[in-house]
Amino acid sequence: MILSRMAKPHGALTRFATIRGSRRSGPGNLITGLLAVLSLAAIVHILVVLTIPQNATHSAYSNAARFGPDRAFNLLPDVVPGAEPLPGLDPAMKHALCRYQLDDGPVLFTASIPVPFWSMGLFNTRGDTIYSVNNRTAGSETLSMLVLTTEQLSILRENPPENLDDLIVIETENTEGFALLRAFVPHPSEAGQIGRALHAASCGLLR
Amino acid sequence: MTAPLKQFGEADWYETDLPPILRPQRPRPLRALAILVLVLFSGALIGISSAYFIIERERPLMAVKIGPWETYPDAGTADADPYSVAIYTRGAKIPLASGEGVELIARTDSAGNKLLPMCRYRIHGQTPTARLWTLTATNSSGRLVETLPGRSDLTSRQLLREPDGSFEITASTTPQPGNWLPLAAAPFTTEGLLFNLRLYDAPVSTGSALKGVTMPAIDLVDCL
Repeated sequence: MILSRMAKPHGALTRFATIRGSRRSGPGNLITGLLAVLSLAAIVHILVVLTIPQNATHSAYSNAARFGPDRAFNLLPDVVPGAEPLPGLDPAMKHALCRYQLDDGPVLFTASIPVPFWSMGLFNTRGDTIYSVNNRTAGSETLSMLVLTTEQLSILRENPPENLDDLIVIETENTEGFALLRAFVPHPSEAGQIGRALHAASCGLLR
Repeated sequence: MTAPLKQFGEADWYETDLPPILRPQRPRPLRALAILVLVLFSGALIGISSAYFIIERERPLMAVKIGPWETYPDAGTADADPYSVAIYTRGAKIPLASGEGVELIARTDSAGNKLLPMCRYRIHGQTPTARLWTLTATNSSGRLVETLPGRSDLTSRQLLREPDGSFEITASTTPQPGNWLPLAAAPFTTEGLLFNLRLYDAPVSTGSALKGVTMPAIDLVDCL
């Protein structure tokens, strides 16, 4: 009698414990846990992808400072294996890069490059294209382009320079950016001359 | 034996009428903490590693495929998806803007097999209309590699063509007759191969006319 009374609650207690145990780690709990992991993973994934642009230490804009002073076209070294100045450049081209800040005033780009093909792209700090032009769409042999903010444009309209009609005027809200000028080198013997033409391209203030 | 005990209510004193969800639970702080840490850790791990693998693959998502050639018309513009933005800013890549040209990348041959630097490929056919184009061979991360003649590109201006305007290029480590696109001089230590076709001032870059244009085919000839 005593033995059975002692045994009985004990057996029931283990049963109770197994019920509670199954509640804690049953298939339902496993699914809840997996859902928690997956939703957390999705949030982390989205956060990582969205914050990479802010945390990238070597953006094209910051890399551009290596090549020389701002507001001047700096000739990039030739695109050769193992020493590419920037990733993804065409080895058949010569490149010049100019970094600018519109807070110092509008930027006037002028270039005259004697090659069958040249092009220029304007990019913001994120590396997005703002504007691009090549020697056919520029409309003339020489490039003359003015980049300014909306406020600077309204100030400029009050007292327009004489050659405003000849300029390509680009209005942008990106106050910082860079321009990459690409010039095709038809033959290596012309590289020096093209390099000088790129170096002579200006990325200065409007006078 | 049990019947009288049950009558007295002494054997089921521990059995409650409450449904399991409402029963008081013994707090198990260590176990709860362990589960929480596990969930947080594995969630963060999966999230970060999946983002890393997608970004590290360096292939923007919205690709337009023409045969073996791929291009990303939105990458490097304000309309780019967040993955392309992350890939381009992280790699400090400067895209070829739409007013400059269009860049097409081939990672596979026309049969769909991955390009290998130790193989010989025949690239033949025609390209979309462009004022100028260049074909460059790089490794799988888009970097130039050392080749025997020192160049790793061909341009449309130095190309030998058939009377109908089509061309045939042989991409190989060793010199080839005709149009030779040199591949890596040390193909067995080079990681991967891809062909970059850059069409400059091409009408296809300034519109959505990319679908349905003729692109050169890439055929495997043989391997070392």
